[in-house]
Amino acid sequence: MKRSRLPALTTLLLLVFFYLPIAVLIVNSFNASRFGGAWEGFTLDWYARLFRERSVWLAVRNTALIAVGATLASVILGTLAAFALHRFDTRLQRAHYLLMYAPLVVPDLLMGISLLLFFVAAGFRLGLFTVFLAHTTFCISYVAMVVLARLQDFDESLLEAARDLGADAWTATRRVLLPLLAPGIAAGGLLAFTLSIDDFVITFFVSGPGSTTLPVRIYSMIKHSRHLPMINALSAILMIVTFGAAWASRRIGERNAA
Amino acid sequence: MTAPSFVWLTVFFALPTLLIFAIALKPADPLGGIGEGWTLDTLRTLSNPNYPAIVARTLRLSAATTALCLLLATPAGYHIARASARWRQILLLLMIVPFWTSFLIRVFAWKVLLHPEGPVKRLLLALGLASPDSLLLYNEGAVLLVMVYTYLPFAILPIYAAAEKFDFRLLEAARDLGARGFYAFIHVFLPGIRRALWTAVLMVFIPALGSYVIPDLLGGPTSEMIGNKIAQRAFADRNLPHASALSALLTLGVLAPMIWVLFLQRRRDRRPAAAEAAP
Amino acid sequence: MSGFLVFEDVAKHYGPIKAVDGCSLEVARGEFYSLLGPSGCGKTTLLRMVAGFEQPDRGRILLDGKDLSDLPPNRRKVNTIFQNYALFPHLTVYENIAFGLRVARRPAAEVRAEVDRMLALIQMEDQAHKRPDQISGGQKQRVAIARALINKPQVLLLDEPLAALDLKLRQRMLIELDLIHDEVGITFLYVTHDQGEAMSLSDHIAVMNAGKIEQIGTPTEIYEAPRTSFVAAFIGDTNFFEGTVRETLDGDYVRLAVEGLPDLVCFNDKRIPPGGRVYLSVRPEKLRITREPPTPDPRRNAIETTVEDVVYLGSHTRYWARIGEYRLAVQQQHSRYLLDEKPIVWKERAWVSWHADDGFMLEQYRESDEALMSLPPAEDAGEAAAKPEKRVW
Repeated sequence: MKRSRLPALTTLLLLVFFYLPIAVLIVNSFNASRFGGAWEGFTLDWYARLFRERSVWLAVRNTALIAVGATLASVILGTLAAFALHRFDTRLQRAHYLLMYAPLVVPDLLMGISLLLFFVAAGFRLGLFTVFLAHTTFCISYVAMVVLARLQDFDESLLEAARDLGADAWTATRRVLLPLLAPGIAAGGLLAFTLSIDDFVITFFVSGPGSTTLPVRIYSMIKHSRHLPMINALSAILMIVTFGAAWASRRIGERNAA
Repeated sequence: MTAPSFVWLTVFFALPTLLIFAIALKPADPLGGIGEGWTLDTLRTLSNPNYPAIVARTLRLSAATTALCLLLATPAGYHIARASARWRQILLLLMIVPFWTSFLIRVFAWKVLLHPEGPVKRLLLALGLASPDSLLLYNEGAVLLVMVYTYLPFAILPIYAAAEKFDFRLLEAARDLGARGFYAFIHVFLPGIRRALWTAVLMVFIPALGSYVIPDLLGGPTSEMIGNKIAQRAFADRNLPHASALSALLTLGVLAPMIWVLFLQRRRDRRPAAAEAAP
Repeated sequence: MSGFLVFEDVAKHYGPIKAVDGCSLEVARGEFYSLLGPSGCGKTTLLRMVAGFEQPDRGRILLDGKDLSDLPPNRRKVNTIFQNYALFPHLTVYENIAFGLRVARRPAAEVRAEVDRMLALIQMEDQAHKRPDQISGGQKQRVAIARALINKPQVLLLDEPLAALDLKLRQRMLIELDLIHDEVGITFLYVTHDQGEAMSLSDHIAVMNAGKIEQIGTPTEIYEAPRTSFVAAFIGDTNFFEGTVRETLDGDYVRLAVEGLPDLVCFNDKRIPPGGRVYLSVRPEKLRITREPPTPDPRRNAIETTVEDVVYLGSHTRYWARIGEYRLAVQQQHSRYLLDEKPIVWKERAWVSWHADDGFMLEQYRESDEALMSLPPAEDAGEAAAKPEKRVW
């Protein structure tokens, strides 16, 4: 039976569509031209300038601080939530699930503005702390969903076997459940970390003076387009870092699966 | 175990969301804060004559984005699902990898690409498809293009996941019974992944409604969406109640399609049990 | 034989694997024709080439004198019953059956009349508005048949249609299939790995192995006069002796020398000359087992053996009797079982005998036969084949 070639062509087209902008960006980070329209010679100048930019380093520091904090907080809260959601089936848990699920679908713009309103109304001073609170809020849901999926695949009879062999509830949890769940928790944490690093919209709404994160910094660089080629260089570096991290997490995942 | 996350999300998610509606009923404070007392004045500002056009544009761009994403994602999801196991892995990875990069950087990449002195413009000029003064940026077309680019994975993933579970022998059965390939695709494949198509609609349409960065960086004053107005009221005008009223409107706009799709799915579920029930 | 559906030297390769390796056969109009073989023998590929899902690399397939090669599946006057029925899950029973007519844009009134007629044929008028996941396996099978027959195909292709059913249902559907074939009178091409199904339904059977056709014949010919050792072993169950023709006895019979055994007598329908290396195949039910030696008869072979295993199976008993390197399967029907003085038991000496006409010689000697010879006969082929295959979706 002859199959239509249209689906294959669409797939190919999409791959070109997906990679073209990224490829152009990386090439341009080495292009001496300011606008990247034509190749005007190889240069590392944009990278050199980037490294001299203090505000970028400050933003990197803020981003890392918040990402680490929000990841830790959301992993603890999200994992506990996943356990509760998995273990109990009550009306409270159904409300809990809805509360957990909603942040995944609400556009980040709405989450940003609502948190801004809340912080202003409650008299919080906008800064690193409010950014941390906001990031933890949206990360909890992702961690909870990833861990919950793992829990649903978990074979309950393993716990029964542990109890049967003389372990008490806590020992069974610690010696059997947690080790088996660890890759899921790690995956949730990694997801939270990358989401926190990447978030712009929510951060933009709830950050104050001195709490500029890297995406917020990039945004203002794009807005005031004097720095365009420097963003190319920054993008190239970030891409290599994210691809490296993603590749590493895949390797970890594969090793756990094996 | 429930308490910490439940309290956290109630305080930092549920309460702020309700606050959107409450603050829409508050007057503005000249210092950029929230005034005392209650008023309907803020809601009246929604009758601003510019708003209907912006709301219409937001709906139009979101609907067009959703339609284009489905149109591209369905054949792609189908193709990936029919590929050999090895190729399926590779293609799926290739589709996802670009979206590991920062969202802002991807938007910026398009700004570079579409720049008046950028590569796409030069190519079009060389091909005689554009004049030296035609502008690729700062219009609805550019916003739509990048919205499609940004939200495509949200359509591809659910469609692929459903296509992968789809029993392709059903397409052979349809061909066997006399249907042409395209007829079988429309009448057998699409109904087979119907749920995933609805999921894809929600996953694209809802975030598209809340788009802010894309029209902000790539659109001009004639391609503003409701998200831009919210940000403008919040930051440029420091009029939080006004931003809040607009957000309330957007919240309702987001809830409506969700409830509609949930309703559709529930009605379907109430009809004959799902396929999983089969032995 | 008038060739209604003709395969001319059809071949299909998947990379280095020869799925179908030069098959030629002719199916007469209106007959029930089976392709029988183990999984991976190429029978399903052959069927899918008729349906149009696969293209042959070589050869042609003719239907009613016309070459099918360039027709897409939707333009062929053949319809398929798929192994899992492939009923459309989003359509009702009624709409599933109507599918072919809807595709052909037939008028609504005609569609209604035809579907109602089909529903009556399969006796499912009251199930018309159910969906495939709400009906039983047997009902799904019937809907699949109605859906295919409504298009009035010239040939109905059936791809292991009973494999997903349990034993009881399979036996009932076997009868239903036979009745439907008689009623509609169209040509059935039936693919199965189950010899029982093929035997009971078919006018002709083509036995396939490793992409090639081993033998074509009626069920009786295939069972009673297999041409190759593969056919002998695959259809039913058999004992093989490896030997050499020593001498010809009055024309129709030969004396065989078999290592470790006394000479055996066998009917020589294939006219194999002295010196020829052969396999002698004797089916278990053709063997007799007795405690006393049978009355001497020049046309009867008798061997003294040691009984190694006895399995009582109700309708019959299966014995395993050892002589030298041979372990013979013997199947004895029961009559007056309880009245007999004393059944033969484990470790007893007993005589195994058979008439020279009940063995058949196979001349072919191939690599694959070596592997076949080393396999002991199945414990009970009938039971094994009856087990429904487990499927993982």
